[in-house]
Amino acid sequence: VTAGDVVERIRKNIGVPWREATYRDTFKAGGPATPVTGIATTAFASFDVVRRAVAEGLNMIVPHEVTFWNDRDDVTIVNGDPLYKQKLDFLTRNNVVIFRMHDHMHDQRPDFLYVGSARELGLDAKYETGPGSHRFTIPETTLGRLAAEVKKRVGARALRVVGNPNARVSRILLGVGYATPSVNDAAVDVVISGEQQEVDGGFDSPEYVLDAAELGIPKGWIMLGHAVSEEAGMLEMAQWIESFVSEVPVRLIKAGEPFWAPR
Amino acid sequence: MIRISRREFVRLGAAGTVAARLVLDPARARAATPTAQDIVDRIRQALGVASQADTIDTFKAGDPSTAVSGIVTTSLATIDVMRRAVKAGANMIITSGPTFYSRADRPAPPAGRGRGTATAPPPPDPVFAAKNEFIKANNLVVWRFSDHWRLRTPNPFTTGLLDALGWTRYRATDDPSTVMVPSITLDRLVDDVGRRLSARGGIRVVGNRQLRVRRIGVLPGSVSIQTTLKVLPGGDALIAGEIREWESSEYARDTVSEGLPRGLILIGRTLSEDPGMKVCAQWLATVVPDVPCRWMPVGDPYWRPV
Repeated sequence: VTAGDVVERIRKNIGVPWREATYRDTFKAGGPATPVTGIATTAFASFDVVRRAVAEGLNMIVPHEVTFWNDRDDVTIVNGDPLYKQKLDFLTRNNVVIFRMHDHMHDQRPDFLYVGSARELGLDAKYETGPGSHRFTIPETTLGRLAAEVKKRVGARALRVVGNPNARVSRILLGVGYATPSVNDAAVDVVISGEQQEVDGGFDSPEYVLDAAELGIPKGWIMLGHAVSEEAGMLEMAQWIESFVSEVPVRLIKAGEPFWAPR
Repeated sequence: MIRISRREFVRLGAAGTVAARLVLDPARARAATPTAQDIVDRIRQALGVASQADTIDTFKAGDPSTAVSGIVTTSLATIDVMRRAVKAGANMIITSGPTFYSRADRPAPPAGRGRGTATAPPPPDPVFAAKNEFIKANNLVVWRFSDHWRLRTPNPFTTGLLDALGWTRYRATDDPSTVMVPSITLDRLVDDVGRRLSARGGIRVVGNRQLRVRRIGVLPGSVSIQTTLKVLPGGDALIAGEIREWESSEYARDTVSEGLPRGLILIGRTLSEDPGMKVCAQWLATVVPDVPCRWMPVGDPYWRPV
């Protein structure tokens, strides 16, 4: 099976129209003609993930996120950097193909990123207000206890929380990656997501939660980090690809959390 | 209370009958107290930075013709900062960050965000409402000072952060945003930075804890991948306010995993810009000596469960 065959099967099975104009979901290394020995899914095609995939005999990587440290994987931004050359050389030398799956994962139903994150967070379907709503009503707890539970479950060393730890909360809105919903929704107590600009964005939830806390309005904002937030669902992605690519092994190779936090 | 600058006092005194003027001529007395607009005009004149055409540095709340009893500078005009400002007798807030939770900085929630059609009017929001009421009840004026403040040379946000970190004396001669500190491990450096900035849970780090660090790039605020590509390879560590995680921290992760001795320390946008507004209060005292001016830090918005 070639990388082109794999992509063709992805397009055939995705269940939504292919965005022909996408700049994200394209080959970032190698091309369709390369024979595939195995497929690794991951949040980020980090250098370390690429090395581990090669060591495991998997030469096709399907990351949700970028390879060359910018959204368009625009190499003109990075090609003056020796590390870019090193990564590209390693990819070429090892005949690695990278095909990003971003836009179409978010178009697909269900969006595996949400499925995976909810699974890892223990936000069971019985708590979801409706299928695909990403809104969960859990038994009332405090923001402090919820955050501690979240940290324990996803193992994010460097997750960050804004809000009064004593705020009583039960209504969670789940986001993934940078698709972080605004916290000023009257039907939401806590937003759990990956990443969002702290200041000067479309809606700055951190400042809003600080003000809500000052007013005694229960609100919370839990940021897992982009990689942690979107990594879990790449397991579902691997299983989905496996369902129509039986010729080679398909598995998740976790990029993991890039950060550590001071003690 | 009416405050008169010493210069004004001397001038009026030279003309005689100071007290009589203040009592008999209320218009004159009002003129002695600068309005928020007067203060902004003086800032513009004294700053030494060309006016930017497309800028967020505008009044966000209140009436610019309000006589100003005191100024508070801050990196974020939170309700907490506003309450502390009122307690301190100030009625003008000069903030480097937004007041109403977005770059657009409008006193009402954005229409339709996250709830159906974009044209639907936003439902009433208790946080926006309380903030607007507090501003009105206390006759506050809020002016944003970000674009122009950071264009000053040297960048006052860098000056302030270096001072807060105790690193002013370590400033490299070739680059105002680089320091050469006595050799320290990344681990201990991070603890030191956290202690000096009174960080709570906002600090995140990429790199080997045992990395020895001497040359550090210090970039408060928001840092692009282009800047990271320029700065990280040239030093041992980079301290940044905020980055995009699919850009700079992934670049740092790859850098570190390939064995290059580098570290990236993220401290958060607000915490990184707090000290720059302390510099602002100190500078304002020279530009607006007739109005008391003080800095109110926001602190680290984040915490982290143990």
